[in-house]
Amino acid sequence: MTKVYRKSDEVLTPLGMGTEENFRAVLEGRSQLRLHEGTFGVKEPFFASLFDRDAIMAEALKKGIEGYSFFETIMILTADSAISKAGISASSPDTVFVFSTIKGNVDALEKGSEDVLLSSSAERVSRYFGNPNSPITVSNACISGLAALIQGQRILRGSRARNVVVVGAEVQSKFIVTGFQSLKALSPEQCKPFDAGRQGLNLGEAAAAMVLSTDPSDWELVEGAVRNDANHISGPSRTGEGSYNCLRAVVQDKEELAFISAHGTSTAYNDEMESIAIERAGLLDIPVGALKGYYGHTMGAAGILETAISMKAVENGTVIATRGFTGNLGVSRPVKVSNENGKTTRQAFVKLLSGFGGVNAALLCRRGGGR
Amino acid sequence: MELTETLKAQIIEALNLDGMTPEDIDSSAPLFGDEGLGLDSIDALELILLMEKNYGIKLKNPAEGKEIFKSVETMASYIEKNRTK
Amino acid sequence: MKEVKIYSDGRVVIDGTETIYEQKGMALLEHLYRTEVRDYPKFFKMDALCKLGFLAVELLVRDEKDRFTPREDRAVILFGKSGPLCNDRNYQATVADFPSPSLFVYTLANIVTGEIAIRNKYKGESSFFVMSEKDEKTMKNTLEEAFQDPMTAEAVTGWINCMEENDFEAEIKIIVK
Repeated sequence: MTKVYRKSDEVLTPLGMGTEENFRAVLEGRSQLRLHEGTFGVKEPFFASLFDRDAIMAEALKKGIEGYSFFETIMILTADSAISKAGISASSPDTVFVFSTIKGNVDALEKGSEDVLLSSSAERVSRYFGNPNSPITVSNACISGLAALIQGQRILRGSRARNVVVVGAEVQSKFIVTGFQSLKALSPEQCKPFDAGRQGLNLGEAAAAMVLSTDPSDWELVEGAVRNDANHISGPSRTGEGSYNCLRAVVQDKEELAFISAHGTSTAYNDEMESIAIERAGLLDIPVGALKGYYGHTMGAAGILETAISMKAVENGTVIATRGFTGNLGVSRPVKVSNENGKTTRQAFVKLLSGFGGVNAALLCRRGGGR
Repeated sequence: MELTETLKAQIIEALNLDGMTPEDIDSSAPLFGDEGLGLDSIDALELILLMEKNYGIKLKNPAEGKEIFKSVETMASYIEKNRTK
Repeated sequence: MKEVKIYSDGRVVIDGTETIYEQKGMALLEHLYRTEVRDYPKFFKMDALCKLGFLAVELLVRDEKDRFTPREDRAVILFGKSGPLCNDRNYQATVADFPSPSLFVYTLANIVTGEIAIRNKYKGESSFFVMSEKDEKTMKNTLEEAFQDPMTAEAVTGWINCMEENDFEAEIKIIVK
């Protein structure tokens, strides 16, 4: 099968612009997660990692990016940077765009606008880059980012394009925050993945882009899988069925794994489910970490953002500390989670995600395969 | 109408229990689990909302719901004691 | 190849045979449930998009032998423009007073693939792709690409769209690798 590589990536988060800058911030244990009162007109305070929108829109304006929603603007900024780093032509028919988001411009609905279709945003962003192909948006709940990377990999394997630009983003809104509040899924404090004291998730905003190509480079996207629990639309499987099936499908040699970058939302059921899936897959001796304590749950951006940061971690020989974890494991299986940065010499990792609708996804990435 | 009967009608409406009438719900039968109505976690959240909307009861900790929502009877007696409207 | 089409104007086409119902829109979906399914009350909790997708697949697979035996080799891969737009509006209307958890869970585009997977015990891939128009070529390419997963031997797939509760269409079929 044709091998697929990451040519470049870029992330934009409340911690700053740039994958490298973000990785440095994460290594230092920084986060923009904080309590928001009255933000978006939400009555109850909530803990989240949010952008300074005015600053970013001003930055975009300087670059001549004007007339787009905030959601579209952050996608354009990250994609533009990833594309120029990769040195590919965004307007070539050989370049295909794959987008990833869950709610896109849904905040426009509050303002009475119906211009909320995910396909409209995708069209506007790909038109900004002059791309002639009809873009596709993966909207697979919280696994969207990984599902989009997997879709990009498949497009290249199927020889439909020479380069694929995968772009994912999520902005928060009254719509999303009140929704998670209604589900009693939000933590009143900093989230604590895998911790005994975890009380729920924190929401986050981010945009992330990755250019994939068949040209050999440092990182190979080796294998990906998407599996459904076929259990419940909002509760994860108690047996970790879908996540286990994903891990079974993608892990080839567990000895090569530096770590598993878990979903680790910090909800009671998700983290417990992941620990069961990891045990069933025979991976309890592999370090497990979650990035939600730095960024919150960035929904449609999470798969791409967390994959890009994990690549940096492997390059740096680091297993990133799980921020928010206090050392008191709160899942039934003894997964190796740590609140301190660790060292590794291994060159591969698995990114794991799960979401509403019973979906789960895993992606195996390996460094050095192309050289 | 008695509170239990009113409550049954409100439950049917809030949870979209199609085709059911208040007579179909046994006041003492379990609401959750495989017996009785077989409700799930989202239904539980809707029941919490129902109590807030109609009776002005704000449940701080959703875990409390477990005892309160055992049956229509237990729910009705909790509402009697705690209602503010 | 089996194919089921359901349109909000009352047309239902099963393997090329068209029936025109008096009932239109949501009344058509409720009528189809009451006459063709009957044993899955969770149907009434679903939003319009999920009801539509659920029913199309019911009509598609109801005669299959062992249809409820769990399987990982059949994927659910749907395409559409609207996603959960109708239900987004319904949820939005509750945000100001009492945000409804049962409406919120249906504001995700892929819940329809999940409802189909849960009903039929499909543990394979499930994906929802949003596009601006029914572009058959991109749909065909995307489906062929999904078959790169060695587990996926067949797929419940097609176009599903619901711009208004009384303006929808579903064209769903089973494609074998």
